Amino acid sequence: MSSLSAPGAFAGADPWSPVSGVREALERRRARTHGRVYALVRWAGAGIFAALFVTLLVTLFDQASAALGHMGISILWTGWNPARNQYGAGVFIVGTLLTTLVALVIAVPVGIGTAVLLSELAPRWIAAPLTLMVEFLAAVPSIVVGLWGLIVLTPLFANHVEPFLKTVPGLNALFHGPAYGASLLLAGVVLAIMILPTIVALSRVAMSGVALADREAGLALGATRWQVVSKAVVPGARRGIRASVTLAMGRALGEAIAVALVIGNNTSLPHSLLSPGATLGSAIVNSFSEANPGSLEKSGVVALVVVLLAISVLVNVGGQLLLRAHKPAALPRGPVDQPASPIAPVVPGAPNTAGAAT
Amino acid sequence: MTGVPIAIESSRPPLAAVVRRDLVRETARRSLARRRLAGRVATSLCTVALCVSLVPLVALIAYVVSRGLPALSGGFLVHTPTPEGIPGNGIGNAIVGTLVIVGLAMAMAVPVGLAASLFVVERPGRLSGVLRFVANVLTGAPSIAIGVFAYAVFVVNFGYSGLAGSFALAVLMLPIMVRVNEEAMLTVPDDLWEAGLALGSPRARVVRSVVIRSALPGIVTGNLLAMARAIGETAPLIFTIFGSQFFVFRPTSPMSAMPLTIYSNATQAYPDAQQTAWGTALVLMVLVVILSIAARMVAAHLNRKTR
Repeated sequence: MSSLSAPGAFAGADPWSPVSGVREALERRRARTHGRVYALVRWAGAGIFAALFVTLLVTLFDQASAALGHMGISILWTGWNPARNQYGAGVFIVGTLLTTLVALVIAVPVGIGTAVLLSELAPRWIAAPLTLMVEFLAAVPSIVVGLWGLIVLTPLFANHVEPFLKTVPGLNALFHGPAYGASLLLAGVVLAIMILPTIVALSRVAMSGVALADREAGLALGATRWQVVSKAVVPGARRGIRASVTLAMGRALGEAIAVALVIGNNTSLPHSLLSPGATLGSAIVNSFSEANPGSLEKSGVVALVVVLLAISVLVNVGGQLLLRAHKPAALPRGPVDQPASPIAPVVPGAPNTAGAAT
Repeated sequence: MTGVPIAIESSRPPLAAVVRRDLVRETARRSLARRRLAGRVATSLCTVALCVSLVPLVALIAYVVSRGLPALSGGFLVHTPTPEGIPGNGIGNAIVGTLVIVGLAMAMAVPVGLAASLFVVERPGRLSGVLRFVANVLTGAPSIAIGVFAYAVFVVNFGYSGLAGSFALAVLMLPIMVRVNEEAMLTVPDDLWEAGLALGSPRARVVRSVVIRSALPGIVTGNLLAMARAIGETAPLIFTIFGSQFFVFRPTSPMSAMPLTIYSNATQAYPDAQQTAWGTALVLMVLVVILSIAARMVAAHLNRKTR
């Protein structure tokens, strides 16, 4: 504010007086400066963010280049043996995919079932507190889940769960070998416990977002409650449910610490779900600090990071493409320089697809 | 089945219409019974799913509380760690470390996240589409990758430090913040933008006093939830902050943090170490829950104020 007049004096001032002309000019100039500063701030934010991403990619590829050049494309199927200068990710990729698969096989049906119950079937006085609880559980740090898995689940699995699974007929191919406790199976179960609240919370939000009219239409046709749920609500919430599963899958693929605590850290190829194994994440945790800076082994560990990043980006992009394929016809967007209105119901924490088609 | 058309005299054989009516009724009854049964089966399956998901989660919480509470006695929150077997153990240094590291990470990430999301909201075009895509990809990026990145950028050049950990957590939070800020600002109706601009206010002014203000509940909640996520992360810290046995307030030296304390104690066989791990886990969980509750309360409070 200029020192020419007190605030509020403008209303009574003579608009033709030279003083108010100067005032206006000053105001306009101030506004222009603010506009410039604002644009600068926006560009700086975007620039820092983009630069960070580029630096991340460049740094990781640069550090991994020695091992990537040493191994070539065979990094995807060879094993990890630093003593023989072999830095392949094959065993870890198998471990990562197997543990994630176990986690999804457990957590997806259980999570969606729970979400259906909480969103549609249970009476409000049961659903409301349970929903709140699930949302808090989604915030439990993964290290705590890993600690619990290590101390409580490992002996439980070694003494009861795994011996029992070995007696189940027909599953011998999956469950054979000694029951150590620490195994791919246990890692998968720990991951399932970790991602379950995420799937429940996001799927529930997606289901509650289905329009009331859709349900009423079903009920008016004489459908039972369950028919409305299975024919209208779940299909209507398909995008949100798929987004929640994609997010959970990404977390399961990338989790390192909790898995490292329970998987047994064995770098040979697993022969059943009961064998101790390793995932990309757990291998990075265990090998990174051991490797000498500047050595080929260090570079090999960073190459594991690159492989892990590539897998998670593939899953993420694949998930987004799937979501886009099922997107309802896009509404026209506002003209440029206007804030776009949200098209899809926004699911917090889920991949944002509103108007991503640019 | 309204208005059955024909009156029947009992002596005559039933009319074809009546036969059909009864057939329809019978079929409907059977169909309804079948559909109700399907509903009952599905509901019980969902109930089983609920139990399956609640049992381990409740057991986990109960176990952490029951093992963690005994550790919390006698200055556990303010002391520094003692060697194995010597009483008076504490995690005061880890709590200080977590607060300093996460606080610095917030100071780095919040302004950048806000500015970047303003860019995405204000210029819907190819460039912001790219930024949005990058934010989505980075949100799903494994946190261990971010830890290795921070190591390569910071630790290799400047050595282990709390600052390197803050940087890693900031990189972790930034994409989440860009997305939640954008989502919050997209919910601001176009009318409000237009009203502000029609008054002749400069764009910066409209954004500051109209858009950000009405999106504030969403922005604050989203940023606090990102912070809650970062506080519990171990992977970005494990290669960056090194850990320390003492109170360290200077972020340029190696520091300790609660997730790291849990990790290093969990992998030791001593009962004291495990006790420390459980106690730290409990404190960390309480902290995260407090943050989540705070996020909700702030949102509710701001919502009431802006309406």
